[in-house]
Amino acid sequence: MSSGLFQNLLDPAILFFVFGVAAGLIRSNLEIPPAIAKFFSLYLLVSLGLKGGASLAAGGLDATAIMALMAAVIMAALVPAYSFVILRRIVSPFDAAAVAATYGSVSAVTFIASQQFLTQQGVAFGGHMTVAMVLMESPAIIMAVLLASAVRTRAAHQGASDGPLPALSMRKVLHEAFTDGAHLLLIGSLLIGWATGDRGKEIMAPFTIDIFKGILAFFLLEMGLLVARQLRESQARLNGGLLAFAAIMPPVNACVALGLAAVLGLPRGDATLLAALSASASYIVVPAIVRYAIPEARPGIYFTMALAVTFPFNILLGIPLYFALSGWIVGQ
Amino acid sequence: MRPLEHKKLLTLITSGDLQRLVVETLRGCGVGGYTVVPATGAGSNGLQMGFFDCDSNVVIYVIMSEERLQRTLEEIDRLMRGGYRIKALVSDIAILPRKPQAKA
Repeated sequence: MSSGLFQNLLDPAILFFVFGVAAGLIRSNLEIPPAIAKFFSLYLLVSLGLKGGASLAAGGLDATAIMALMAAVIMAALVPAYSFVILRRIVSPFDAAAVAATYGSVSAVTFIASQQFLTQQGVAFGGHMTVAMVLMESPAIIMAVLLASAVRTRAAHQGASDGPLPALSMRKVLHEAFTDGAHLLLIGSLLIGWATGDRGKEIMAPFTIDIFKGILAFFLLEMGLLVARQLRESQARLNGGLLAFAAIMPPVNACVALGLAAVLGLPRGDATLLAALSASASYIVVPAIVRYAIPEARPGIYFTMALAVTFPFNILLGIPLYFALSGWIVGQ
Repeated sequence: MRPLEHKKLLTLITSGDLQRLVVETLRGCGVGGYTVVPATGAGSNGLQMGFFDCDSNVVIYVIMSEERLQRTLEEIDRLMRGGYRIKALVSDIAILPRKPQAKA
């Protein structure tokens, strides 16, 4: 594991992340203009989708791919369920539902970093894992909204509610979840990549491959600055229980995923990506929807946990750890 | 010079994610015109740094008559009682109208 960890930490993109954290902690005024940073995040999703789609077109959906997608859906339902049960002991039911949704969903950047790591290690993975990532985005949101709705209804019946229930239907929440810009862009890119296959991949290569690493490095620099600022927030907003959850649950979720991968006979590359997805937490799509669907939850908690604790853990230590674990649990 | 008209300025500060919800609520109250300005800041939601929609704020300015204001505030209050984090500020303004008021 140590050589994998060392290689990961010497990756230029990861080092830019560390540099960003350091610059943020010393309160530098270094800043990437917000519009450019937003473009970078959209670019990464387009590249991810196009490359994933092209790989899917080349490899097809064989039995292994279908097993991987099944495992992804199972994890997307399992993680928020047991996370909610654990979190209810630490925070209010609404905060628990929101955090469960955050950790039940996925981080595209963690997924991209995991793919980069596997490529460096010479380990193959299927294009269907991008589809797995898309499938894992939404179930947690739906579960969390249902949980919050149940809590709200119970509170209203007990007369404990302070005000009227938010006028939201599941249809509206689903509409928000599935029409979210980032989510839609990823799906669209995936479909375009699949439809155009290897020829499309070759045409887009100067945009999606040649400059990918550079833009990823720049994006991770901005993420580092963000993490540093959120770290100060986390000291103010997160109690010991939440900090422990944010740090411990990712590797726990990864181990559950690897166990499932072993049972289903997934290859090591797919298993590692499934572990990384299960260990990641969403800080773009889910917080946007949860703020709308579960307004009682505190964004200062679920957003800060995902960004200030879990994301840096996964990027720096988690990915090589999950890869090492996959070697023991799933095999070569 | 056309005479100044006295109106109310409603300023709403909320998260970028809730912009659509707030604007739909304003439209439901018959508000046709508004101005949205992106913003960053900090508060009970944590740091709003403007990197993602979920950590960006928006400031929505609406100029309206006193008659419309009351109904609009009731709707905004309904959202706030539902848990949505919105700051609503009301101020008296004098505005140079685009068209002079029709004489009676």
